Amino acid sequence: MDNTLLINERVEVVAVFKKTVDPGLLCFPAKMKYRNQLIEFSELGLRHPTTKGRKMIHVFDMSDGANDYRLEFDAESLTWTLIAIMEASYVGH
Amino acid sequence: MLGINQETPKIMHIDLNSAFATTEQQAHPSLRGKPIGVTNRISKYCCVIAASYEAKQLGIKVGMRLDEAKSIAPNFIILETDPAKYHHIYKILFSIMSDYSPNVVMKSIDEGVIDFHQTNSLHTQSLESIGLEIKRRVTSEIGNWMTVNVGIGPNRFLAKTAANLNKPDGLNVIDYHNLKTIYRSMKLTDITGIASHFEARLNAANIFSPIDFFNATGDELKRRVFRSVIGEDWYLRLRGYEVDNIATKLGSVGRQFVLDIKATDERIILPRFHYLCETTGKKLRFNNMDARGILVWANFRSGDNWYIRKMFKTYFYTDKDIYQRALYLFNQRPKDLTMTAMGITCYMLKPSLRNQISLFDEINKSDRLTTALDDLSSRYGNFTVGPADIIKSDKIVKQKIPFGSTRYFELLLESSKSSETVNQV
Repeated sequence: MDNTLLINERVEVVAVFKKTVDPGLLCFPAKMKYRNQLIEFSELGLRHPTTKGRKMIHVFDMSDGANDYRLEFDAESLTWTLIAIMEASYVGH
Repeated sequence: MLGINQETPKIMHIDLNSAFATTEQQAHPSLRGKPIGVTNRISKYCCVIAASYEAKQLGIKVGMRLDEAKSIAPNFIILETDPAKYHHIYKILFSIMSDYSPNVVMKSIDEGVIDFHQTNSLHTQSLESIGLEIKRRVTSEIGNWMTVNVGIGPNRFLAKTAANLNKPDGLNVIDYHNLKTIYRSMKLTDITGIASHFEARLNAANIFSPIDFFNATGDELKRRVFRSVIGEDWYLRLRGYEVDNIATKLGSVGRQFVLDIKATDERIILPRFHYLCETTGKKLRFNNMDARGILVWANFRSGDNWYIRKMFKTYFYTDKDIYQRALYLFNQRPKDLTMTAMGITCYMLKPSLRNQISLFDEINKSDRLTTALDDLSSRYGNFTVGPADIIKSDKIVKQKIPFGSTRYFELLLESSKSSETVNQV
């Protein structure tokens, strides 16, 4: 039933910062290197801010067209963490 | 007999379609077009608290148990609620709505009302085009999977009724021209506020449809059907006159928890109970209130329910005072039964007098300690410093999404505003 793989690992990310009027697309990760594998994102599902104490964390729910990925950007330490992968192959089975 | 209100509609009701489930589909593109649901904590007997439109089309309803939902659709996917995500959506929706009028009231976590009475002359567009613009903005500012239903009417009831038509992604106006036609297309239980209990009461008075309800006289509704002024309110409401513009005031705060381990053992029950008391205290202080009454309750596997309540002589607000009083009551519970759920509510609230220095130093010390602990929580996260027995409880008793209430989100909204202010300083 649960198709979410919890990862919680630091990853390398190439992010895009746009000069756009659309607040949903101001910033998003374009690609990520996870365990030597390059993953290119094709869609930003949702970005939402949250806090850990007073630390601002931006949560990005991304998709590469096959799987969904949850990444967190720590705005204080400037680190990207891959929190979880939702494997689409399991979804709906 | 009073006629239909012929005023130009100036109330707009916005309803986010299947809010939690659609938000999850927005965040996870792989879930789009699939029957999914959301629950507070996944277990075999958990309830679906929101279902996607795909799930609803298969007959899965809100409140249905997971095993029932799975028997209807074996490919039904259930996810746990993610409050931070919904808070973000709530914030954006509220911000979009507030761009059009200062009179915005969120009716629940996924719907709100904009009153254009004082601001109508400032807008060059019609309310229908404002409604279409809000729909476009929701899609652009939240995500392309998000849709809202917009209802426009002369009062809150008709605006809400209009928002319930043509789901998902509809926009409808009800005014004196089409009011009766709309009523003719509805069943009694389609009317907001009329469930089976009221339906039976209306049927007993020979009212079988919304149009019968509309044609009933005010006197009949007041004396025969509702036997109170509620009948008069319905008479006016159905004709498009405003009776629902009432501000509610905070009457109680509390927390409840369905035990992850059904138990008689105090080593399991008490840390979780203590955690509920501590978080209730935080809510109370956040609302700047003091309480005098405490109610604690428990449900047991045997089917028995137990509760006790007490009004104390003095008002209180510190975690220690709440826990001591609540524990005194909680210790009177039947201890040989297996507990399945428990809760605490503080009531008889009044605005806090905390800024008044007490004559008794013990009280001032306790106030300073509470303030210091709240400051630490606000800076480093809740329960960075707290009672030792609840050290693991925040991982077990997670904050869940309350039904029908905006208080939790308003609290988060206020909290994010105050932390933004602190960060700016």
